[in-house]
This record gives sequence, C-alpha cells and structure tokens, in this order.
Amino acid sequence: MPWYEILPAAMLICMALFIFSGFPVALVLGGLGLAFGFLGIAVGEFKLVHFNAVPLRIYAGSVENIILVAIPMFIFMGTMLEKSGIAEDLLYTLQLLTRRLPGGLAVSVTLLGTILAATTGIIGASVVLLTLMALPQMLKRGYAPGVASGTIASSGTLGILIPPSIMLVLMADQLSVPVGVLFIGALFPGLLLAGLYVGYIMTKATLQPQSAPPLALDDAPVGLQFVGLVVKSFLPPVFLMVLVLGSIFAGWATPTEASGIGAIGATLLALFRRRLSYAVLKDVCYRSAVTNAMIFGIFVGATCFSLVFKRLGGDFLIEELINSLGIGPWGVLGMIMLVVFLLGFFLDWIEITLIVLPIFAPIVAGLDFGDHVGSAAMILPWFAILFAVNLQTSFITPPFGFALFYMKGAAPYVNIKHIYRGIVPFVVLQLTGLLLCLTFPEIITWLPSVVLK
Amino acid sequence: MRALLSISNGLAAVTDAVGRAAAWLFLPMALVILYDVLQRKLLNVYPDFQQTALYQFLPSTKAQELEWHLHGFLFMLCLGFTYIRNGHVRVDILRETFSQRTRAWIELLGCLFFVLPYTVLVVDLSAGLLVWNSFLMNEGSSATTGLPMRWIIKSSLVIGFGFLAIAALSILLRHIVFLFGPEELRPLANRYVKGDEIEEMKQDVEEELAQDAADHPEHRFGGGNGANGKQG
Repeated sequence: MPWYEILPAAMLICMALFIFSGFPVALVLGGLGLAFGFLGIAVGEFKLVHFNAVPLRIYAGSVENIILVAIPMFIFMGTMLEKSGIAEDLLYTLQLLTRRLPGGLAVSVTLLGTILAATTGIIGASVVLLTLMALPQMLKRGYAPGVASGTIASSGTLGILIPPSIMLVLMADQLSVPVGVLFIGALFPGLLLAGLYVGYIMTKATLQPQSAPPLALDDAPVGLQFVGLVVKSFLPPVFLMVLVLGSIFAGWATPTEASGIGAIGATLLALFRRRLSYAVLKDVCYRSAVTNAMIFGIFVGATCFSLVFKRLGGDFLIEELINSLGIGPWGVLGMIMLVVFLLGFFLDWIEITLIVLPIFAPIVAGLDFGDHVGSAAMILPWFAILFAVNLQTSFITPPFGFALFYMKGAAPYVNIKHIYRGIVPFVVLQLTGLLLCLTFPEIITWLPSVVLK
Repeated sequence: MRALLSISNGLAAVTDAVGRAAAWLFLPMALVILYDVLQRKLLNVYPDFQQTALYQFLPSTKAQELEWHLHGFLFMLCLGFTYIRNGHVRVDILRETFSQRTRAWIELLGCLFFVLPYTVLVVDLSAGLLVWNSFLMNEGSSATTGLPMRWIIKSSLVIGFGFLAIAALSILLRHIVFLFGPEELRPLANRYVKGDEIEEMKQDVEEELAQDAADHPEHRFGGGNGANGKQG
C-alpha cells in the first residue's frame, strides 16, 4: 500500500483511538492534524509550508464568518431562557391543558420538549432539564418508567432538529447552503416527529391506561384565572418564537440578526420575570462562553485535522473507496446514513457535524437522485435534514444512545433496562419519520419552496 | 512540587480571568446586532438618519464586521478558559472505566504531545502570516466603509492560542504533581480527573427548580417535594 493510502487511513484510526481516550476532542483533532503533518513530511507526502494554511483557514473559516455569529447568540438565548424559568411555568400550564387527554402528562412533556426545541437547541441540557423536572412527577403519578423515560429522551433531543438549531447553522456553513433553507426545511420533519410521539402516547394511554394514568389536579385554577395562566405562560415563548423564527421565515432578518434579537429578547424576558440580576447575567455569560468555545474549539481543531487529512489524500481515498463499492446513489446515501447512525452512539452531534459531514458532503453533492428531490439545489438541504433526523435517532437508540446516558446520569434511580425498553417504540417512530422524509422529500422541500419564493 | 502546584494555579487564574472578561462580549455583540437591524428599519422611514453622527460612526458595514470581530475575540479568548473549566467535550464511555491515575497520564501526555505543539504552531504561524503581514500591508476591510486594521482581529488567534497553551501548561503541571508528587498534594491537584459534566448540569437544574418551587409552590416539580403530590 502506498503512503497516500496508509496515512489517511491511519489518521482516521488514530482519531477514533485517541477520542476514546477521553482527552478533549477539540485538542485531539488539532494535535493529530499536526502529528500526521509531520509524519507526512517524514515520508515526503507533506511539506512544512502546507501548515501555513492552518491559521489562514482557521481565521477565514471561523473568525471572519458572520453566519457563525448566530451560534453564540443562540447559545446565549437558550442559556438565558433556562434561567428565566419559563419551562416550569409552561409545563405546569401544559399539564392543566392536557389533563383530560389520555396520557396527558406525557403529551405535555412532549409539547414542552418541542417548544423548548423551538427556542434553543442544546440537547444535553434539554434532556437533563426535562428529566429532573418531569420524570419524578411522571413516576409519582404512576407512569410506567419506560413510557416516562422514552417520552423525555425523545422530546429532549428534538432540539437538534427543530429550528433554530445550532447544529443546522453549523451544517449550513459546512455544506454552503443558506441557514434559512435548513431552518425552514427542518420545521415539518420536526413537527412530524413530535406528532408521531403524541399519537403513540395517546394510543398507548388509551389501550393500557395503567401505563399512563390520567392526572387529577382538582385544585387547578378555572375560568378567567386559567385563561390568564395560559396566556402568561405561553406568551413569552411564543413571543420569542415569532421574534426569531418569524423574522427569518418572513425574510425580515438573516438568521444571524434573528439570533441577536432572540438573545436580547430572552434577556428582556428574564428581566420582566424578575429573574435577571447581575449574578444571573454573569453566570449566563460565563456558561455560554464555555459552550461556545467548546463548539468552536472543535471547529478549529477539525479545520486543522481535515486540512492535513485532505492534503494527505484522505478525501480522494474515501471517494475512491465509495466509488469502488459500486452501490449507486441510493446505496451511498444508505451507507452514509448507517455510518452516521452508528457514530451517533458514541459521539456528540458537534464532532459528527464537523468531522464526518465535510468528508461526505462533496460525495453527496455529486450524487444523482433523478427528479426524486425536485430541484438539484435542494439535494444538500434534503440530505442535511435526513442527517439531522438520523442523528437524533442515534441519540436515543440503546445501548449507547447519548440522551440515554444524560438521562441515566440525571436520574440514577431509574433502572437502565426500563429506559432501554421504553425507548424502543420511540426509535421505531423515529425510523418511520426518517423513512417518510426519505420517500417523500416534499416534507422537507415544500415549505422552503413556498416561503422563499 | 508545592511550587509547581502554585505555578499551575497562577496560570489557571490568569487564563480564567481572561476568559471571564471575554465572556462579557456577548452583550456588545447582541447590542451591535440589534443596532444593525434597527438602523436598517429606521433608514426605510427616515433616510436622513444616514447624515447623523451615529450612522457616520457606525454604518451597517462596520456594524456587521464588528459582530464577527467581537465573536472572534469571544471564542478565541475563551479556548483556554474552557479547558481550565473542563468544558471541552470528552468522549466518556471508556474514560469512566479508567482509574484516576490512567486518566491523569492521558491528560499529561495529551497536553505534552497534542496541545502544546498544536498551540505553539498556530501561535507562531499566525503571528507572522496573519498579524505581521496584515500590519505591514496596513490591511483593512475590503469594503470602503468597513473596519480598518485587520491585524487587531487577526491577533485574536495569537492571543487565544497563547492562552490555550498557558491553560495546557497549567493542567500539565497539575498532573505532574498528581502523578509524581507527595500523597497530601493529590487531592489539590486532581480537579480534572474527577470532573463530571452531567453531575454539574444536574446541580444547576436542581438549583433552578428549587428557585421555582419557592416562587410557584403549585408547580410541584422534581422529586424533593413528594409530599405535595396528589396521587402519592
């Protein structure tokens, strides 16, 4: 085997090896890029001057890039919202609203997960929040642990899909498609999945009432007082959603502008709800800064890694490998989906979006799906959203699903077997949703084609 | 060994202070974005706004460039801070099964062979290629109304990676103390081999829920107030 085949392959293997050592991913990527650059120099496949591209690319790709400014702003918005306490108010009101429905409490958790997803998009935090807030109550009310944990894990991960999603911003940047197209395209698939969850919960609660018993909140407010409560708890998130998503969908603001307005809106909300103090503001800034630097650390590390990987012939190797399989466009798509699904067990969306997506993107852009997707310009957005749905599925798939770990960590008293068993129907729903989006690309492409006219 | 630990603490404190200062950049960023959106709407109804001193000082092009300038400093200056606060994502599946000593060895070797060479390379190359070149050329925005002096934002790479190197040095020293130092210093040095992200998130949310329970007793969330549950 020649060096240009051995080095990139070894690079991928080393990446897997060192990432699993538990050393920070961002730093493994940067360090490995460097190490293989020097290895490449030793065997004559790389030159010292090629390293010059590293800082140039870091600057041009991550600093001088106004699209990515949306990421810190969405993080700030989400962190601030968490502090504003609107989630607690919302869950309480949703419970009251859905208390006559079969499986009302689980339905209200799903709805809350969907609404949270539409205001932020950090899934680890969402799953922990929902687990601590709703799981004890669901168990106390007699829900089967499987139903309760399945509902929380799946609704808590909707955030990576439903706009505004930080992941979609990063994907748009990687694939060079407009952020707005991905946001608008992801809306229906996200709602479709939430709808499937609600349908399943209600069916299950009707057929097996003992697994999801109805609520009895006798002292619930009634009449005008109740209407007031509903308005008071729904107004803040609806206001933010209209502000952020509305202005993007209507074309009034770019996603970056909308994110800044959303950050200010969330701060004002916290102020009006008397949760904003100097200490809270400071905490939100520090915490958002850590999350943001974590994402951009990987971004920068992946820049270094993929630069060396490509220079050593890595993308060529992968393309050749895929072509030699001779499995046609659908086979390639299926294979990529499988790889992403499996990686999603172990890695966070950040690593997958920043390392794997750039490797596969040029291949997908060149695939010919005939007129399955309609216009050729929609192939990448369609692929990106399939990728997102797929990734979300892998987060809730036992035994290694990411969200399941967060949940178990936040609720150590729940038996992991119950979590595994309870999530299975939701995985089936996810796969149904994924299959629907694959078969009927209109679910993804229709809304952008109408809105962006 | 005690001296090494003090040096490590000092380096960590400096990096942390820089990150904490930079974290406040979120606020000017959001305000500049708001200004940019508002002034565009304002120009539609009141075109004379273009003549005002404010618009002369910060036209749209400048505002938009200022947004990514601020972000560049925000995330670059927080790279080291995030490492000090153990905020860089780790894949924990196998790590959880390692002993504290194994984890410490991994951290030590990682700092030595991955982080330090990587940061030194980026600092060295960006100082010459980005900052110095840009300074010599007197490089500014390609837009006539954009921001001048590109060397300032380009120096964010040098400073940011510089502090990441300092953070790595601090963590490296701690682990030397942990692995080779006397028994009594170990508990002081092992901050990074313990860290548990989910546990920290959990504590935050629990504080939040306690606050909520104080404000809204009718909500009855979480496990703490089980006695209030209707169907116990």
